[in-house]
Amino acid sequence: MGEKITVATQWLESCAGCHMSFLDIDERIVELLKYVELSSSPITDMKHPPEEGVVVGILTGGIGNEDEIHEAKLMRERCKILIAMGDCAVTGGICTMRNFFDKEEVLRRGYIESESTVDGEIPVHEELTPLTDQVSGVGDVVPVDIYLPGCPPSADAIWFVLTELLEGRMPKLEGNVLKYGSDGG
Amino acid sequence: MSEVRLTINNQPVTGLSGQTILEAAQAAGVDIPVLCSHPALSAWGACRMCVVEVKGMRGLQTACTCPIADGMEVQTETTAAVDVRKFVLELLFSERNHYCMFCQMSGDCELQDAAYRYGLDHFTYPRPYQKLSVDASRKYFIMDHNRCILCTRCVRACSEIVANHTLDVRARGADSMIMADLDVPFGESSCVECGTCLQVCPTGALIDARSAYGGREKDVVHTETTCMQCSVGCALDVVTRYNRLLRVDGIWGSEPNDGLLCVDGRFAPLYEERKRVTSPLVRKDGKLVEAGWDEALSTVAARFKAGGVQGLTTCATTNEALEAFAGLFAKAKGEAGLLEPVAPVLGYGTTGKLADILDADFIVVAGAQPLDYQRVVGYFIQRAADHGATVAVIADTENSLTKRATMTVSYADADQVAKAAADAKKIVLVYSVGIKSRVIAAFRHLGDRLYTLALSPGRNERGATAAGLKHAEPNGAQTRFFLLGEQSEDQALTTKVDGAFTVVQASYLSPLVEGADVVLPTPVWYERTGHTTDYAGVVKPVAEVLPKPAAVRDDAEVLSALAAML
Repeated sequence: MGEKITVATQWLESCAGCHMSFLDIDERIVELLKYVELSSSPITDMKHPPEEGVVVGILTGGIGNEDEIHEAKLMRERCKILIAMGDCAVTGGICTMRNFFDKEEVLRRGYIESESTVDGEIPVHEELTPLTDQVSGVGDVVPVDIYLPGCPPSADAIWFVLTELLEGRMPKLEGNVLKYGSDGG
Repeated sequence: MSEVRLTINNQPVTGLSGQTILEAAQAAGVDIPVLCSHPALSAWGACRMCVVEVKGMRGLQTACTCPIADGMEVQTETTAAVDVRKFVLELLFSERNHYCMFCQMSGDCELQDAAYRYGLDHFTYPRPYQKLSVDASRKYFIMDHNRCILCTRCVRACSEIVANHTLDVRARGADSMIMADLDVPFGESSCVECGTCLQVCPTGALIDARSAYGGREKDVVHTETTCMQCSVGCALDVVTRYNRLLRVDGIWGSEPNDGLLCVDGRFAPLYEERKRVTSPLVRKDGKLVEAGWDEALSTVAARFKAGGVQGLTTCATTNEALEAFAGLFAKAKGEAGLLEPVAPVLGYGTTGKLADILDADFIVVAGAQPLDYQRVVGYFIQRAADHGATVAVIADTENSLTKRATMTVSYADADQVAKAAADAKKIVLVYSVGIKSRVIAAFRHLGDRLYTLALSPGRNERGATAAGLKHAEPNGAQTRFFLLGEQSEDQALTTKVDGAFTVVQASYLSPLVEGADVVLPTPVWYERTGHTTDYAGVVKPVAEVLPKPAAVRDDAEVLSALAAML
């Protein structure tokens, strides 16, 4: 392997569990960094993929607001191979629970009617991004090259996908690296 | 049945005529995926997961319904078959809520397994996000329509195994929905909460309220034992984790119940809330106080030595304990008897088995209420009625089987039933303590066409009878010893503590326990070791599923220790 492969990650409507699972590859990350350059991620100084682009883009989380659509499109424009990582990025995941209700009903329940709320109000501000009508997976907004489901995908599954790409193969998920939810392995 | 020779995936396979491709493939070790098919249920052919290619037949065939034939060439994993399976799975996952991350079945789900097998890594089709109901109106288990794939295993289990016909499918196409009766909440329906549907559900649509999220198949321990909630003696698979009872399952193919259980065997005992007796208690200065086993037993032994003792036991314990009980009172020169009455021996006919109900063409139920007290027997009778057997109920009081019976007559008209049975090929007489001499006389002449099933109210009546114990009432003994075991609340003994020195061996606190002079703790059903004798006289093992509390001792061991002190 010659030049390092650049990788950027971004989290959208997610709990950060997928990024934690990424870090769960433990000391293998040292090995990985020999071949990979992590450019931007939510946990580095650089938050957005560089203009010159990266080879691999990783999105975790679903699409639930306008900003997340923007972030997904930005990543798609700036990466060659896009990975939708985790159940939320793949299908919308647990965030799709709100799809069974109207957007207004969800906001009212969350900000006004919840049991712990006193004198609540639905926040409105120009800097607050509007919610989409429904939560979807990343694939409903931009074309995805690799789907890696799991809640979260195991560190082994993430390692498998990245190392397959480093070997120049498109990963084919099956067996222990293809899991939905957290099924106990 | 004749042999049929075919090939499956180019391997020569020999099956039997009448078998389906699925059955022949399974026997030959070829794995064809299924969702709606279940070995205990009739073939349905609804889900299309088992489609296979058969040379010379147009289109794909459902392996679960297609009978095998000589010379057939079957291919199970062709591109065409696999493409259809993937397509079916994508449609199933898109239709309702099949997000695994918050489902209690994740890891043990047959739908999930099928999707893993065919490498589904995302949803292809848009999802409608219809908000379907979650019906938690029953006590023990919940129906979440959002997880349902409409395979109808539950519907078939309810009609074919329990023959209760509560469940059916409402509407057609995308509007199809599992419903109870004429679409009422499950808790208000004719559902008997036997849980057979729960046991066959391939997804997370039916949720056991107790064991949900309590442990996956890979985490749990299975212990096979025999149910002692009634005299039938069904085979149980008790599921535990970390010394906690999670669930009870039936065991397909087991004697006598073949996987079928009732609410009393599967659910009710896991919801016991009575306070346990966890240590021997001895009455001192008018109060029951905790004592050691040595003190408690020597107090009892001293009373036994003084003579005038009577022992009364329920049948709710092991054969070993009942033998030790009979032995103890023989040694103490006291009287020993059973609290429950015993169904009489008729002196004619062959001792029947539950399976005899299913191939009988005439079933008589006399002085027994199997649908209420030995429910599995009741379900077998319902099944026989569905298959066309005549069911005659002889009763002077209300009987739950009446609604499924061909005829219901009073005791005075028992002869009418005997007359109707005159031409029957195989007659099963199911009876209990309520049978009258007139009824017994009416069926005597039917000879070897008659099979009898005696259903005594005592849980291990056969074991007690084998130990030589007979039904008895409290007499004027000075010392009275009750072995209650875990007698249920509604059976609670009404005997007044009447001045006799009273010793009670029991699992739970009750008025009799609280009025006793000495109380000895006993194990509950999942802590016992030994044997019980089922309704047909077969001795079956009772296994310790979970350990007993530290100060609780086995019945047989305590009774033997007491005998040794005399």
